[in-house]
Amino acid sequence: MNKYLEIVYYTFRDFRPDRLFRNPVMFVTEVAFIVSLVFTIDPASADLPSYFPYSAFYVSTTVMLFLTIFFSNLAEAVSEGKSNAITASLRKMKTNIIAHVKTESGIVDRPSGEVRKGDVVLVYKDEIIPVDGEIISGSCYVNESNITGESRPVMKVQGDSVTGSTRLVTDSAEIRATSDPGESFIDNMIKLIGTATRQRTPNEIALAALLSGLTLVFLVISAVIFPMSTALGVSINIVMLIVLLIALMPTTIGALLPAIGVSAINKISEFNIIAKSGRAVENAGDIDTIILDKTGTVTIGEREAVKFYPNNGIDYGEFVKMCAIASLEDMTKEGISIVNLARKEGISVSQEDLGNHDFIPFSAETKFSGVKTEGHQILKGSLRALKAKLGLSDTFIEALCKEISMRGGTAIPVVRDDRFVGVIELNDLLKPGVKERLESIKSMNIKTIMCTGDDEVTAEYIAREAGIDEYVANVTPMDKYNVVIREKEKQLMVAMVGDGTNDAPALAKADVGLAMNNGTPAAKEAANMVDLDNDPTKLLDVIFIGKQILITRGALTTFSIANDISKYFVIIPAIFFVFPSLAYLNILGLSDPLLAITSALIFNTAIIVVLIPLAIRGVRFVPTTISELLKRNLLIYGLGGVIVPFIFIKIIYVILAVAGVAW
Amino acid sequence: MIISYVTASAGQNFWSNFFVANRYVSGSIIIIIYIVIATVLAYLLSGYIANIYLGTKTAMDRISGPIVAAFEKMLGEDAKRDMDFREYFSTILVFSLFLGIIGFAVIYFQHYLPFSFSNNHMTPSLIFNTVASFLTNTNLQHYSNPFDLSYFSTTFVITGFMFVSAGIGFAASMAFIRGIISEHGKIGNFYHDFLVSEFYLLLPLSVLLTVILVLSGVPQTMSPYITITPVLSHVSFRLPLGPVATLEAIKNIGTNGGGFYGANAGFPLENPNWFTNLVELEAFMLIPLASILSLGKVFENRRFARMLYGVIMAIFIFTAFLSFFGEMVGVPAITDLGMSFTGNMLGKETAIGISQSTIFSVGATLTSTGAANGALINYTPVGIMGPLLDLLLNDPLGGVGTGVLNIFMYVIFTVFITSLMVGKLPEIMSLKIGSREIRYSTLSLVTHPLLVIIPFGITLLIPNMLSTFVNTRPDQITQLLYEFGTAAANNGSEIGGFLTNQAYFNYLDGVIMLLGRYLLMGFQLLIAQSFSYKKPKVQVMRTVDPGSFMFGFSLFFVMILLGLLSFFPILALGPLLAFAKAFNLFIAGVVL
Repeated sequence: MNKYLEIVYYTFRDFRPDRLFRNPVMFVTEVAFIVSLVFTIDPASADLPSYFPYSAFYVSTTVMLFLTIFFSNLAEAVSEGKSNAITASLRKMKTNIIAHVKTESGIVDRPSGEVRKGDVVLVYKDEIIPVDGEIISGSCYVNESNITGESRPVMKVQGDSVTGSTRLVTDSAEIRATSDPGESFIDNMIKLIGTATRQRTPNEIALAALLSGLTLVFLVISAVIFPMSTALGVSINIVMLIVLLIALMPTTIGALLPAIGVSAINKISEFNIIAKSGRAVENAGDIDTIILDKTGTVTIGEREAVKFYPNNGIDYGEFVKMCAIASLEDMTKEGISIVNLARKEGISVSQEDLGNHDFIPFSAETKFSGVKTEGHQILKGSLRALKAKLGLSDTFIEALCKEISMRGGTAIPVVRDDRFVGVIELNDLLKPGVKERLESIKSMNIKTIMCTGDDEVTAEYIAREAGIDEYVANVTPMDKYNVVIREKEKQLMVAMVGDGTNDAPALAKADVGLAMNNGTPAAKEAANMVDLDNDPTKLLDVIFIGKQILITRGALTTFSIANDISKYFVIIPAIFFVFPSLAYLNILGLSDPLLAITSALIFNTAIIVVLIPLAIRGVRFVPTTISELLKRNLLIYGLGGVIVPFIFIKIIYVILAVAGVAW
Repeated sequence: MIISYVTASAGQNFWSNFFVANRYVSGSIIIIIYIVIATVLAYLLSGYIANIYLGTKTAMDRISGPIVAAFEKMLGEDAKRDMDFREYFSTILVFSLFLGIIGFAVIYFQHYLPFSFSNNHMTPSLIFNTVASFLTNTNLQHYSNPFDLSYFSTTFVITGFMFVSAGIGFAASMAFIRGIISEHGKIGNFYHDFLVSEFYLLLPLSVLLTVILVLSGVPQTMSPYITITPVLSHVSFRLPLGPVATLEAIKNIGTNGGGFYGANAGFPLENPNWFTNLVELEAFMLIPLASILSLGKVFENRRFARMLYGVIMAIFIFTAFLSFFGEMVGVPAITDLGMSFTGNMLGKETAIGISQSTIFSVGATLTSTGAANGALINYTPVGIMGPLLDLLLNDPLGGVGTGVLNIFMYVIFTVFITSLMVGKLPEIMSLKIGSREIRYSTLSLVTHPLLVIIPFGITLLIPNMLSTFVNTRPDQITQLLYEFGTAAANNGSEIGGFLTNQAYFNYLDGVIMLLGRYLLMGFQLLIAQSFSYKKPKVQVMRTVDPGSFMFGFSLFFVMILLGLLSFFPILALGPLLAFAKAFNLFIAGVVL
């Protein structure tokens, strides 16, 4: 459907009373609209005067009420249109392709829609991956540009997860499907965006309750004017009372509230993050503590070997060779970089050179990896882990490690059999711009905790360089969970980024858990947001958006309620124009009561249109101290909310009067 | 205009001349003195009240402790267990209902009971109204006090209920604070809280005040009426004496306000001189103000308590001076005769004067006391706005205990809105404010205006309901608004201006008072209940500082915008129209 037609369709669909009922302010407005429509058509039914100025007044009131609802619906429709566009583009990615499924009777070709969880599929070069899954053998480059927008293919190795509908560009891989048809990542994302935009957050519910309460009071107060004026011996035109009611009700925030809610999810989506609920976005705004991984978030993360340091009495070339052998089958980025550096030094080893061997893979628990050949065992990994494992100590190596750590590098000692043979220096750089971002986080009073597998010294160095408040060094996956729990016990709101299966419990426990799209399915399941671009620093953007949403809601509510002061001073003297002595309340000096009331109503309607972009885009947010922010927003939206309507109602009135609308 | 000269009273002393000549200045200084003394006394008591709230050791433990323990022993298990909202509130309701029925029976059968010197009969509607009125700490008096009630009824129902209603109010605030502090979903034991309120706070202070009042000349006797025939008069009248001082003490200490005499503190035997006037005002300001100040110690956030004090005092000073200047400017009809120096002395006790009358009536509506030392019906439209605005705000300082509950409702809204404006989720005292708390706060926010406006509208719709009113129309609107405002706010201050003792008003006001008290208390305790499950954060300063000036400023405007502004259309046709037309509230007719 055409984008604009869709918006128009939504706008009119939402006129249905059963849909408006969710939003009491707009529902009352619609009832008022219907009542005033009846009076416009047949003023005699309520004994209303039907001659000229009044008839025009009824028509303009009816039109304005219609427009109020129309603009409210329009704001929501524009937001909804945006989120529909997002789901539509996600849906487009889902293509039905043929999967080569490995079965007992050989390889069978099946449509991707029939691949079940646990099936193993083969994907060759230049084929599209048919399902979400995990690579069980092979390594390859995958182009994920249709999800992340990043055109550079990413390297995937055994154990990495891949997303269906991305393209394999090199080699081939065996993939075990991790989801059933209809439950793939993209299917889930489509569903999530759908429900996330519909579910109201606790804050929205609270605000809606307050607005309903105010609406009820204004409804009663407008109604009571009727018997009161009768007691005073004057009759009040009921259409004027309808205008009073609509003007007093917080229509501005009432009209824009749904749009703000939908736009939260949309804005997050613009950053290529899928939020599973609006609540998570709101929570993000209130984060007290962020738990960051050092690697990938604070530092670039692609740690590269830069130098070899052999131990005393070890030949340099021999040492480099040992390092290369130990890393030959280590498919981590560090491992590959060690082999590459060795090659640059002129030493290359191949599988054949090793003969019969066993590779000892790296694990987060042991913190070392290596290789076992005939006669020798070469291990590399964390100093502490190796010392503990082998019961070794070597003052030279330890001093060397400390020195490397102190300048921010990572030292990887290498052990052959039962002796330290040297140290490999890996270097890692702070991400460009991360310091400034952490600075602005700090100014918002958010504590940062950095988790790293490195030793204390490196962790402290990096933390100090980047301006991080706290660090946890030598972390095991359990530690991360414990940090989350510790912060949660203080009733603080915790955000964290994670990608591994080990991170899943911590992600689930955190108030805002941002998982990386290339992370494990378990992590993505546990988190309440998934970043398609795999950029952990985007957590900071999420926090910004969360704050912006809250501020937008608060600012528009304040503005809407503050507007009432001016409306009282315009409409009350106009309604009671029969008491000339009340003219001292008419501080704007609007001499024509019908025109004054109409001007107030026009302002009331027009302000919604003016604020739609603000509601969808969000109030500008500059990170600063809380009291500064409060002062600034109170000034703009509180004081502004009192003064602005006075000015604009007067301007509208003058324009109408000059244009010759003489009632 | 501001300075009026009274040449006749010229004395020797420069300052006495100055103060006599500049009555606006001297009046303002008197008002400020009243406020300063109130603050000092409240500050002195606040530490003690904080200890009661926190359940820690107090100075009265040795005397009151055994009494409370003895009562609790008598009650057995009931006084021991911690209650949640449902149990606590239903205990309040059952206890009140039980007392209400007894009170009704006592007044209904007062002729058969001792100390009855009166043959007057009260209709069931009037009894209902009276019982509801005193049970809810309102003390709206549709009866003419010393003649309609026997001494027994006065002592048992009036004085007794004054203690009970204030005790319930303070117990509710203890439960509320416990709800905020606790983490296990319980808000305390009602019997315990009630006994503590009575024996630690209300009784000791009342005894102290009784002594002060008796020494200042307020009667305290059980003797029958005195019949007096004034010199040069052939008409004799009966002057009831009685247990005036005790009643007066708890009337003020418990923010009740129902006087022994119909004219309340305007009657010389209730309020003989300027000193008792000062004492009575300070007495009814004491507990509400001290409770607010005690929150600083209770929540370990003195700036928060100071901020609340500042906001409430801003409202007090604004309404007090509005009323004072309104009265000083006086009545156009008289000012035009060149007698501008008098101000509007109509309906005021000359020994007390304008400044002390206006501060008294505004103070009485700022708290839920409702006592009066002058006739409010004679106030000018601007003068009456002072007490009226406070009533429409549902008594910003509140009654014994209830003030804490009321102000918290506005604080919750302010926290909600200001937190959103700085991009934080709302929290108060490090407790998250969720949709549930906002829902209950909204319910308690709308309860008061609806209880005022709906009966107001209904009354206007009934034909001939305005037939007993004697003033002009705008004044009638003011008076009717005031009548329902005082009932809904559980205040008890009255303009009158019409026959209040009609079955219609008796029943309607009775129901409004009951709803205004128990419905509101229910919603507010629900907020406490929902806080009572929440654990506070360790750090506090990560959100809007509730002790800051900006927060106080916001709170003030939230109170005005959400609490007061919705009454603007009624005010426009009431006092504002009367002011514009130079209508005045003083009358020629007789009010019953």
